[in-house]
Amino acid sequence: MNKIINDIRETARQLLAEGKVDVVIGYEKGSLPLKATPCFVHSPESVDLLIWDETCENNLAGYLAKTPGKKAIVAKGCDSRALAVLLQENQLVRDDLYIIGVSCHGVIDQRKIGAEVGEILEASINDGKISVKGMEGDKEYLFTELKDATCQTCRYPNPVIEDLHIGETIEVAQEAPAFADVTEMENKSNSERQEYFKEQMSKCIRCYACRNACPLCYCQECFVDCNSPKWLTGGVNRAENLFFQAGRVLHLAGRCVDCGACTRACPQGVDIRALNRKMTKDVYVMFNHESGISEEGKPALNEYSANDPEEQFLVKE
Amino acid sequence: MKISKEKFGQAFDALVAEYQIIAPVSDANGIAFKGVKSFSEVKQDYLNSKLPPKAFFFPQHEKLMSYKKEGKDVSVKSELKVENTVLFGIRPCDAKGMQLLDMVFKNDQYTDPYYYERREKSVIIGVACNKIAPTCFCSSFGISPAGSEGSDLLLIDLGDSYDVEMITEKGKALAARFEALSELSADEQALVDKIKSAVTPSKVDVSNTTSKLDKMFNSPFWDTLQEKCIGCNVCSFSCPTCHCFDISEEVRKNEGTRVRTWDACMAPLFTLHGSGHNPRDQKKARWRQRLMHKFNYFVHNNGAMACVGCGRCIKSCPVNMDIRQVIDGANKAELVVE
Amino acid sequence: MGEIQVEAENKKYEPKIAAFLCNWCSYAGADLAGVGRVQYPATIRTIRVPCSGRINPLYVLKAMANGADGVLVSGCHPGDCHYISGNYVARRKFALIKSLLNHVGLEEDRISFSWVSAAEGIRFAEVVKGVTERVSALGPNNGIFKVDDGGAADE
Repeated sequence: MNKIINDIRETARQLLAEGKVDVVIGYEKGSLPLKATPCFVHSPESVDLLIWDETCENNLAGYLAKTPGKKAIVAKGCDSRALAVLLQENQLVRDDLYIIGVSCHGVIDQRKIGAEVGEILEASINDGKISVKGMEGDKEYLFTELKDATCQTCRYPNPVIEDLHIGETIEVAQEAPAFADVTEMENKSNSERQEYFKEQMSKCIRCYACRNACPLCYCQECFVDCNSPKWLTGGVNRAENLFFQAGRVLHLAGRCVDCGACTRACPQGVDIRALNRKMTKDVYVMFNHESGISEEGKPALNEYSANDPEEQFLVKE
Repeated sequence: MKISKEKFGQAFDALVAEYQIIAPVSDANGIAFKGVKSFSEVKQDYLNSKLPPKAFFFPQHEKLMSYKKEGKDVSVKSELKVENTVLFGIRPCDAKGMQLLDMVFKNDQYTDPYYYERREKSVIIGVACNKIAPTCFCSSFGISPAGSEGSDLLLIDLGDSYDVEMITEKGKALAARFEALSELSADEQALVDKIKSAVTPSKVDVSNTTSKLDKMFNSPFWDTLQEKCIGCNVCSFSCPTCHCFDISEEVRKNEGTRVRTWDACMAPLFTLHGSGHNPRDQKKARWRQRLMHKFNYFVHNNGAMACVGCGRCIKSCPVNMDIRQVIDGANKAELVVE
Repeated sequence: MGEIQVEAENKKYEPKIAAFLCNWCSYAGADLAGVGRVQYPATIRTIRVPCSGRINPLYVLKAMANGADGVLVSGCHPGDCHYISGNYVARRKFALIKSLLNHVGLEEDRISFSWVSAAEGIRFAEVVKGVTERVSALGPNNGIFKVDDGGAADE
């Protein structure tokens, strides 16, 4: 892990010193234990702030379009997929980007730790073991126990688009994606699902952290802010929250890269992934499409084929 | 004076008949302030809630009035319905936060009837903090983890009893229902003194921040500060003192309702004018506004900093923007010589 | 007084169905049904759109939120779109809309999609009859996506 950090810092140092980029966007140590935070390095002297470990949970791709000039970005697999979709949608200029690709074993699910030991006082990560001292107890974890739910089903740990690769590549099993979590939900009855999502939606406070953390939610005026027509009234209740979440997920259908940033950003622990994963599965099963797996191509809803399935939704006569 | 938790619980349960009681309960996400019907539902050992209790005086979505047009007549109806409420388990930081909100919603020029009706009809029973989290920094603002500002009654948890301190007349009146109050033992008094003298290990130095910020409007400090912020509403919604709101009309044909909802200065469209002009369309301007408002403008207007050091924004921010680091940065920022 | 009460009880529940019809095919088909005096239930409220590709998933959600008991979206048959590929793009979108809304617990029969051409007046009437029957059987919209005028936050 240390070699990776050194290589990231060296690369950043060179890029900045040679004037190849104006800023390097990566991660630095956060102000809380086990928390990394996005880091914008503008000068070669500050590259030693950059880190790389299992706490690097933010998707940095969302910052690029808003950052002027030439920029380098430390990208893990899911981040690079988001970059690929942004390039497909002409939101970024490829020549302005220098992508420092790093293969990722996954990030930690902070919420799980907090639920067991309370607020974290101290923590350290050593060789895949995470020791935590919390306000309500101490615990030792294996990284695999704490892996974020998205990372458990990740099939693209290696960046799909990059200018430089740092560290080794991770081998991925070549089988087709499974979507066991989605199938489990699908197998429940209609009313069970309705209950589940109603409960999730009662937690939502419409802070829009999910939307803002998502690299692919970049509309200048989001439908929630639109007054004419007025889609939402600002009423924070299950029904309107579901409207917001369903609307957002449908706007992301075929584009979402399943990075999990939305669910991690949510302060209320709403299971946003449940909706996005359903769309990801449908897009794969119905259109054999996975978003952002290469720079070429288009999002699923920008393409069509004469053989697209229609029995599933057409009215039965 | 102290009261055993058992006796307190009985008094609490008796209040249920006359008051709506809001207390900390455990939920899927941690701790939340919700309506309870008995003391047994209250979570005993807790740090603080995820969301601040300001929603009980300043709801996230509030109907102000409804109106109906019938021919040439318009009838207007107030939608304000407030019950007598007891808010139990409010921490000193949040209670102080209520006092800061009071400065906004009632001043020389204006009293907000919606906020004030709720405020007047409620009694706040504060509970001092026995545990301090690493993200708590209330001592920076002269708030003690056992502070009584903003509470009507302050309870200090002694294990199987509470030390009861009457702070206001309202609190005294409520405490008249408590039975079997007794004197504290020497040990218990020592514990109370210890709790009252606690300070948060995390502290920021704000002694010169306001005057420093007076000169920092054009500082390059703001350029780099705002880079990682994603512009969501989490910090504003989690803050006990944030109070910005939006008022909108929800109209269908001849009937409608005027509604007030929380808003946040961090949202890009917060300052969008009807003309299309947006004075704060840069994230840099919005972050500058947040910090200046809390640590400079509010001080000039109301004589206090609009932060109570509860740490919720630090814990909930998706990108770990830490206001303590921001204040330190502002304190150290170089001044641009004009 | 008594008569009016009895009448009210005998009145069957009539669902309100928002029908988004593409101008060139489905709307024309509906028009043909009208011209040919083909009877179909008066449950649909027609909204004419230039092409089924115009349908934003928010339209379906908002129609439900405003109290519609069901939604029908109808366009040209694939291959016949006036704008060449609008309905191909829509086809993918419709599949996902139906799937997601069903996943969050909305009853399957509330949202219906069809391809009806300008010549299919009788078929349009049949589609509407079928949709009406299925939506009636489900009863009124239970407010799963309700966006209320100044609705209060629920506990």
